[in-house]
Amino acid sequence: MTARRSFFLLLAAFAAAAVGCAPRTAYLWGDYDTALYDHYRNPQDTERYVERLGQIVQKAEVEKDKVPPGLYAEYGYALFEAGRLDEAITYYGKEREQWEESRVFMDKMIRNTRRLKENRPGPAPGGELPPPAGTIPGAAPAGEAK
Amino acid sequence: MSRRGLLLPVVGFLVLSLGCAAAPPKKDYAAFHAANPRSILVVPVINNTNNVEAPGLFLSTMPIPVAERGYYVFPVNMVRRVLEDEGLSDANLVHTADTARLCNLFGADSVLYVSIEAWTAQYLLITTQVTVEFDYVMKDGKTGDTIWKEHKKVVYAPQQQSGGSPLAALVAAAVQAAVTKAAPNYMPLARQANAEVINTPGVGLPAGPHNREYGKDTVSAK
Repeated sequence: MTARRSFFLLLAAFAAAAVGCAPRTAYLWGDYDTALYDHYRNPQDTERYVERLGQIVQKAEVEKDKVPPGLYAEYGYALFEAGRLDEAITYYGKEREQWEESRVFMDKMIRNTRRLKENRPGPAPGGELPPPAGTIPGAAPAGEAK
Repeated sequence: MSRRGLLLPVVGFLVLSLGCAAAPPKKDYAAFHAANPRSILVVPVINNTNNVEAPGLFLSTMPIPVAERGYYVFPVNMVRRVLEDEGLSDANLVHTADTARLCNLFGADSVLYVSIEAWTAQYLLITTQVTVEFDYVMKDGKTGDTIWKEHKKVVYAPQQQSGGSPLAALVAAAVQAAVTKAAPNYMPLARQANAEVINTPGVGLPAGPHNREYGKDTVSAK
């Protein structure tokens, strides 16, 4: 028996053991952690990041209570960074609806994003969270009707 | 995905081999229960190593185990970016900022601060020994008091060769290489460290409000 072959056999044994006792998760995470990490390493790759988070959202949403905390918000922020402000607001709203713990934060983000959309820069009354740096007010794509 | 498929069994094996470790002494959860947090703000981690990728990689491994424990976890990447816009682009600044003020910004009940103490691969003759070490401190958003803390070091090295078989040594080295060559290398070790720190009875994080074990789990039983 070659070393290579026994190596794979061993891996298979480990895999069987690992699967046998793999805990079931409360939420559907997909490859959330690696998606976050890849975006951290390559922040310019906005489109791919939006796409990956979107896929995770889509899969998790099949069962409503399987959507992990923070996922809608993270996806909303990715959309925001991609300039898709209306969709960002939609997903901040979903996070807000699903998790009451997120309301303070989401309300601020929704407010700030709306303000950005309306092309009225400047500090909000009591709003400590400014829009992200590098986002030029009014740079949102045209056709953001509504 | 295939790389991950390779790494998972290795981690599984690691977890299995550590399953028989003796239970550590129980800690005092009075402050934690008094604070009774529902939500946790995981802020960017302090990096006390010279691996520049460590903080980003580590931060991305945090939401899953903490949320699975039953807490609302704020979106870590979004939080990091918002803090940057607040002028807190350096993790050291975030960690020294007032906890209550930080919690006010996000409406969070508590903050989880992590610092990376070690993140190294030591290249030995035929193998590589990988060490990761983390400090976890959780503070109450109202008082700023520490309500939970834990320290974790995980060393990945080949299993002891009981029979001294050269084939076994070779296999161990191959597994080792899989762990150390795969990118991102340290992901499984960081995941393992987090899982143990958060879920170990007697020292871990008590189950949160979104966990069925909330209020009756053994982790924090007196």
